[in-house]
Amino acid sequence: MNFDFGETEKAICEKIKGLFDANSRASLANLESVDVNDIRDATMKWLRVLAQAGYLTPGLDDRKNNVGLTAIQESLAAISPSLFLTVEVTARIFGRLVAVYGTSDQKDEIIPSLQEGRLIGAVAISEDTMNIENDPLNASGVNNDDGFLVSGSKGHVVNGPIADWIAVAAKTGDGLAFFLVKKGTKGLAIGQRLSMLGYDGLTISRVSLENCPVPSNCIIGPFNGEEQLKTVRTWEDQILTASSLGLIKRSLDVALKFAKGHRSGNKPIIAYQEVGFKLAEMATLFQTARLLAYRAAWMAEAGDREAAVLAHCAKVFCTESAEEVASHALQILGGQGYLSGNPAEEAYRDAKYLQIAGTSSEISRMKIADGVLGD
Amino acid sequence: MDFAFTEEQMMFKDQVIRFATREIVPRAQEHDLKGEFDFKSFRRLGEFGVLGLHFPEGLGGSDADVVTTTLAGEALGEAGVDGGLSLAYGAHTFLCADTIFAHGTDTQRGKYIPKLCSGELIGCMGLTEPGAGSDVASMTTHAQKREDGYVLNGNKMFITNGPIADVAVVYAKTEKDQKHTGISAFIVEKGTPGFSAGKNLNKMGVRSSHTSELIFDDCKIPKENLIGQERAGFLMAMQTVEWDRSALMAPFVGGMTYVLNKCVRYARERQQFGRPISQFQAIKHKLADIKIFIEAARSLVYRIAWSKDQGKPLNHLEAAVAKLFIGDWSLGPANDAVTLHGGYGYCHEYDVERAFRDGRLAPIGGGTSEIAKMIISKLI
Repeated sequence: MNFDFGETEKAICEKIKGLFDANSRASLANLESVDVNDIRDATMKWLRVLAQAGYLTPGLDDRKNNVGLTAIQESLAAISPSLFLTVEVTARIFGRLVAVYGTSDQKDEIIPSLQEGRLIGAVAISEDTMNIENDPLNASGVNNDDGFLVSGSKGHVVNGPIADWIAVAAKTGDGLAFFLVKKGTKGLAIGQRLSMLGYDGLTISRVSLENCPVPSNCIIGPFNGEEQLKTVRTWEDQILTASSLGLIKRSLDVALKFAKGHRSGNKPIIAYQEVGFKLAEMATLFQTARLLAYRAAWMAEAGDREAAVLAHCAKVFCTESAEEVASHALQILGGQGYLSGNPAEEAYRDAKYLQIAGTSSEISRMKIADGVLGD
Repeated sequence: MDFAFTEEQMMFKDQVIRFATREIVPRAQEHDLKGEFDFKSFRRLGEFGVLGLHFPEGLGGSDADVVTTTLAGEALGEAGVDGGLSLAYGAHTFLCADTIFAHGTDTQRGKYIPKLCSGELIGCMGLTEPGAGSDVASMTTHAQKREDGYVLNGNKMFITNGPIADVAVVYAKTEKDQKHTGISAFIVEKGTPGFSAGKNLNKMGVRSSHTSELIFDDCKIPKENLIGQERAGFLMAMQTVEWDRSALMAPFVGGMTYVLNKCVRYARERQQFGRPISQFQAIKHKLADIKIFIEAARSLVYRIAWSKDQGKPLNHLEAAVAKLFIGDWSLGPANDAVTLHGGYGYCHEYDVERAFRDGRLAPIGGGTSEIAKMIISKLI
């Protein structure tokens, strides 16, 4: 048993935080709500910086290090929620898909550029219903002479508008495959960036494919069954869990700073129980959420038989706590909290995404119950 | 980071669960309903080694580390031991015996610890007063110093094991005019003239533990009964917090596992609308929420235990967080468990009803949730 981080983990977290000085943090704030091209430029710039710090490698190598991964994710998620998701989808979903399931040629082509921070990736799975549990995929790849023709429509593709590569999940004759589709391929249509409640700096769009030619060396799979889809979803859930920790930290930090600095009736408002006690609940949720997230990560690393259930527990608890803490933080900030652009207001809007994306809170609870029922 | 228990620890936990399931749990319901202390089970806890687990072998203990001790508490809860007996054990071992062990003289240790380990003697601790709960420093029980000892006057309130205890650790002011720094700790034995216990209070939950007032009316005790130094009592009381937030909270966490197991069994067996209710989403979500609570709470408790094993000074923030979370966030899942059992859940015969009543103590006893929030808001 050991509740402390290792020295390596501490060092890399400090390194990540050190990458972002006051100026760059300000420029990241501007990342929110700007146009797609600016977001792409900023992402490319930060990808290269993060690459040099070693941020992009975990998950792409053979080392199982979920605790260390969560630690660096937590650091970045607290600095910029949107940049965090953009980077994670690139490295830890698209990149990991190639690293884990791709052919050696695919890895040679993609992984080095990815690790150097020179490409943005996306993975397109969900279709109109978003529920991959109940509704089978409609997208399909049909064999032709020198590869496949892929057709289908994907609903919410994170990084869709800015990605260099999109891995598209689709049925094939003998199973399910991911087709690696390069930006600009004929028949690939990227929809308008969708306007959303939160994650202002994240770009999401529909992606449609109509007889989109994909050469045979660009297919991952086909696989029998949906094991790989499920694995990708666990990666996504893990990222969303880590993302919640970042939102909670941002909300707590800004509320705490305000409550200590803002005075009313000759004392800082933290001295009032209605503020101080709220902060106590927020801090309690933060510590509890963190411990649960790290224990779930550790269990996945250790191959514990309850690891999958714990991952769902962590996702539900952390993402729901993120909304609660953000809501409290906004309330403590009062009128200032309601103004656009402060971390609490952003986190309040962002948090909902985390409960919907990946395995939703509802489906997560069903899976937890299946686990305890032994079904 | 590493959240693993050792193989020995897990084996020991299983042993405690098997022992408790066989010998203690079958007696729990009867004692809860009658509101009677189960002397036999308490003694068996002593014989099995639970009561003195962390004390040195030389004093009748087993030299167990804090994590193992906490696991034993979780195991009792998980087996289905009622909150009353667990609380009696907690007050006895951690609030009474450990204070004597940690701060007492060798003579005091030798005199009390072995018999407290075995369960031959039952211990209690008196801190709270009718007029001094969360505001500990406002206590008025007075220990007047005489040449040959002290004379105690005052009342203590809500004292777990009060009516049945042979040995009491009592906090009283040797300096009337001072607050925290005026408090000293004493050992008072049952039968000492001027010392008596009130009648057992009729409580909502933890009913098999006996709770009463302690009354000191010109109670003379020898000077050898002072624990440690005069005026160091408040710090001693605070040092029990580490145990309180780990080993004493662990039965609550384990108890929720027991409740979850009950719910699972019931949900699978209970048929409505032609199928087991475990197939309804609303029921499954309740099961999930109970599970989430357990897993979230578990790490908080073991973090305190592990830190104590590492010899780290108590992190008051982490301790208060654990207390607040387990106290406040357990009520929803406990309520869900009753609802899931429907009409049966509202009946005494079903253990979820007892767990619901027992769990209601968690945000009150050993420092209320409000005090935890005060501590947290000051430390962050």
